[in-house]
Amino acid sequence: MNAIKRLAQVNPPLLALLLAIILFFAGGLINPNFVNTNQAVNIVRLAAFLGIIAAGQTLVIISGNEGIDLSVGGVVTLAAILVYRISGGDNALLLPALAIALGAGALIGAINGLGVIAIGIPPLVMTLGMAGVIQGTILVVTQGQLIGATPPIMASAISEPLLLGIPGVIIIWILLSLIMWLVLERTTYGKNLFAIGVNRTTARLSGVRVPLVVVATYALSGMLSAFGGFVLLGFTRTVFLNLGQPYLFPSIAAVVVGGTVLAGGKGSYFGTMSGALVLTLIQSLLTAAQLQEAFQLMVLGVILLALLSIYGRQRKLRQ
Amino acid sequence: MSVSLSAQHVVKRYGGVVALADGNLDVQSGEVVALLGANGSGKSTLSKIITGVVAPNEGQLRLDGHPVSFKSPSEARRHGIAAVYQELSLIPDMTVMENIWLTHEPISLGRVNRREMRQRTRALLELFAGTYGEALSPDAIVKSLPPDERQIVEIVKALSSEPRLIILDEATASLDSQQVTRLFELIADWKTRDMAVIFVSHRMEEIFRIADRATVLRNGYSVGTRPISETNGRELVELMIEGATQPDARERAPVPADAHVRLRVTNLSAGPLRDVSFSLRDGELLGLGGLQGQGQSELLLALFGAMPSTGTITLSGETVHFRHPRQAMKHEIAFVPGDRASEGLLLSRSILENLHLPSWHKYGIPLRMKQARASAQANAEELRLVAESLDAPVSSLSGGNAQKVVIGKWLLRDPKLLLLNDPTKGVDVGAKAEFYGLLTELRKSGAAILFYSSDDDELLGLCDRVLVFHDGQLSAELQGDQVNRTNLVAASMGSLHAQAD
Amino acid sequence: MPPDQTASLSKPEASPARFDLRRFLNQNPFLFALLLLIVAVAINWYLQPNLFELRSLNRNLRSFLPAIILAIGQTIVIVGGGVDLSVGAIVSLVNAILVTMLTPESSSEQIALAIIVAGAAGLIAGLINGLSVAYLRLQPIVTTYATSFLFAGAALLILPRPGGEIPEWMEDLYRSTPGDIPFVLFVIVILALIWLLIRSTRFSQYLYASGGKAEAAYTTGVPVNRIRMTSYILAGLFAALAALAYTVFTGSGNPRSGDDLTLPSIVAVVLGGTRLSGGQGGAIGTIFGVIILGIIRNIISFANIDSWWQTLVNALIIIAALAGPGLIRLLRGGKTSV
Repeated sequence: MNAIKRLAQVNPPLLALLLAIILFFAGGLINPNFVNTNQAVNIVRLAAFLGIIAAGQTLVIISGNEGIDLSVGGVVTLAAILVYRISGGDNALLLPALAIALGAGALIGAINGLGVIAIGIPPLVMTLGMAGVIQGTILVVTQGQLIGATPPIMASAISEPLLLGIPGVIIIWILLSLIMWLVLERTTYGKNLFAIGVNRTTARLSGVRVPLVVVATYALSGMLSAFGGFVLLGFTRTVFLNLGQPYLFPSIAAVVVGGTVLAGGKGSYFGTMSGALVLTLIQSLLTAAQLQEAFQLMVLGVILLALLSIYGRQRKLRQ
Repeated sequence: MSVSLSAQHVVKRYGGVVALADGNLDVQSGEVVALLGANGSGKSTLSKIITGVVAPNEGQLRLDGHPVSFKSPSEARRHGIAAVYQELSLIPDMTVMENIWLTHEPISLGRVNRREMRQRTRALLELFAGTYGEALSPDAIVKSLPPDERQIVEIVKALSSEPRLIILDEATASLDSQQVTRLFELIADWKTRDMAVIFVSHRMEEIFRIADRATVLRNGYSVGTRPISETNGRELVELMIEGATQPDARERAPVPADAHVRLRVTNLSAGPLRDVSFSLRDGELLGLGGLQGQGQSELLLALFGAMPSTGTITLSGETVHFRHPRQAMKHEIAFVPGDRASEGLLLSRSILENLHLPSWHKYGIPLRMKQARASAQANAEELRLVAESLDAPVSSLSGGNAQKVVIGKWLLRDPKLLLLNDPTKGVDVGAKAEFYGLLTELRKSGAAILFYSSDDDELLGLCDRVLVFHDGQLSAELQGDQVNRTNLVAASMGSLHAQAD
Repeated sequence: MPPDQTASLSKPEASPARFDLRRFLNQNPFLFALLLLIVAVAINWYLQPNLFELRSLNRNLRSFLPAIILAIGQTIVIVGGGVDLSVGAIVSLVNAILVTMLTPESSSEQIALAIIVAGAAGLIAGLINGLSVAYLRLQPIVTTYATSFLFAGAALLILPRPGGEIPEWMEDLYRSTPGDIPFVLFVIVILALIWLLIRSTRFSQYLYASGGKAEAAYTTGVPVNRIRMTSYILAGLFAALAALAYTVFTGSGNPRSGDDLTLPSIVAVVLGGTRLSGGQGGAIGTIFGVIILGIIRNIISFANIDSWWQTLVNALIIIAALAGPGLIRLLRGGKTSV
């Protein structure tokens, strides 16, 4: 147990990844058919959707000061609907539709950021209110009629094997992870993001324009969630009003299980990826175990608690 | 009612860092024991162990001859021990009386009796009557009070539990002289009532005014106890620092009168600071003196664009008005803030990231990490930074090395004007000496330096010109031979008036 | 010092010498919520002239009560420096327990037993949250999110599908209007009094201290961990009470009844002027907050707003209300912290 704790301190993403691998083979004990290549690819594919959607959440949580984005579910749905409707299934309109969806996501995020940093609304309720606004906007614009179609090229690029039998979404995820690593570790923005997450006074006194970084972070989160919606559409090929919502809290859980601290200033996207894998595996295992829903929920709750007690411990008051 | 407390060979380690290696202290009814030591010598740790805030790893506390070990501060208080802390233990959003009576509120019928609480609070505040403003009342919200009044509330809070032993940990730091005098009158009264007092202070003068004995800590060890009547300041200082390195006057080279005027400030006001005017030339080390909290920090913050101000600031002839530190940085200004941990560093991040925080944009996209690392390495070597690696978190460094990181991050930008807010606070002797050397080099290279220090000896040893602040105003400008201790102390108390230049 | 200060010192029982508006606002952070409530009620009244007639007043208050009770519990946790995302799931669980134990013919002993079991379930749920946050030192948001699965699963286990009935007299009592005053209004007043009672205890001093600055509170001797745990237990108990109100309000059970109650409870707390990071605020403002949210829904439905627009308008009004205090500060030229 101590060894696990040490690993959790030194390298949370690695621990989560190890856990994912152990869970996968543990699946074999429950159901011998669980452990095979197809199943592995399938799980990674499912994890990719959660992982992509949790990318923006990772940034917002790193930015600290109770940073959290509860609007990701709404943005995912909105982006999918926008692409679905604007492209109308026409391959040629795919890129403009994607650009508009990303733009809408960034705009929503920027408004979140302004509400948080300029007006001082706590992130939790600001982004929650924004989720309501997004849902309301969807209802107003669509009047409940979700017309449109998914461009075939997009569906095949995301859902079908693209390279060496690997589904497109996994390749997209890997590319995204490289971009996220670059953004976090190899740009001034990334360095400033960690800085404001640790200590905003120090950051400001070192020349960091804190409000700008905060707004940019929420905007990026909105844009990345919109991208998540786009990718998800390629998988579902249809839209519904509740498309993104089931990913909201898992996106936060994936970030935390990956060792990113809710207090901010510490974390990585690789952690979030591992977290997404762990959560997806647990879900798949519970499904494979063919438990009834009530037990599935309870076991999931207990496992999450157990995971959290390895990570995410807060500081003791008495030293 | 009489009390005796004895700490014997107390040890406290944080991970690998030893905060207190061998702490020994004795105090009895009717006496005031001063606890002295440089910053980081273990004073605060020892007093926190006595009050149950920190759990010792080894050693023993004996109260009235019996071994005790306090599991919590409230347990210590039940034994009659209370403390006034350096970093305040008040809850900012609660009222004065709620803070004072927290954990021992007067209760009637299971409810907090606010009327009685208010009455008792008034009675306690009476002890300091006449030394505070009208804002301080039982129902005032603590965060709306100025620091000195918060300190008074803190003292009164400790008294409210009617302790037998009271620890005053830098309790005078933010009090004005009238308030200090009142506190000392109270301490004298406590002594007659068989109370024991542990008095932690940096101010030698206060120790000789109030203490009966002095116990000195150095690098976590108790190195000696002296009756105040049989010792003097020099002996205590030698005990504290072992091979004292006070800067000598060698550094005090005046700058030529025709040197380029880097900074001219006219009628600057910011926060408590009122109508300050002065100028600073290239290659000059201009000291800012006076008691703590007289507006020196605000002056530096305003010059760095971190605090709104009125008045005129001219840099090399150009009038500027900064609204963000970033703009000041573009004008080659650097600022070393007063509180390292909360304003100068990202404690959990690496040394490398701290050093480059103001400079990352120089390294393009993607960041050229090799180059960044190389320049940070050179910088660290130049500053003789002692660290495992550049990737180690800053929180693993000692005070002196951490301060080198704060200074290093600005040196990497080649500043022409340095604003230093008490840069040697909590820095060990060796690092101080290195720092004085660095200041000399910077001056030689033509940098202009504005240097606030809470340590008068530094100002006397290093500066050819010192601006002394009192109550937000410039009370004196000392130059050349005028820079001596008598003038500095007099001006700090506001009793020496500004001399024309 | 004001001239009369010495006078008040000599007779200390006198109230503070003069009225300080800023201090009053600081100590009563719900004032903005009260203002908002008055405006909202006025608009509602204009659109719905019979708002204050007994029938519609009672209908409104009946539907607000479960949310009010739940949000009071949430306030306690938030003031103490935490947040509880599992309160809705506790409502589901307790609702499931109540309808499973009750039938239309239940005797008063059976009802008493059901209520005791319900209270115990709320207490145990709160205890699990409290132990995890205070003693295992887990982060409140994700911890209570995790435990919400536990409670939601248990609800589903006890009551796999909606249904069940309770004694009719309980429903009748809930809707009754003794002396032409809605029964639930009495309950709301009693809840407010209970809060004021809590506010006058030493526990509440500890709660505000722990949420305001935990290190300082600990140094002073406040048992911070125990207070935090107690705050979650109280939230669990209030959630159980909310479930009881919900059960007699709807007269049946639904294993997902609390799903949509958690997040609005947090919004109501913030609307009511309580600081989300803890140490400031109170339940009076929260009661206003819940009623404001309900009145906004009323206004939207009576303003003949196209049904497709209702969600959007509702959300926009909520954001505007949340932004209110910050915007006022901004317009008055106040400074932000960074």
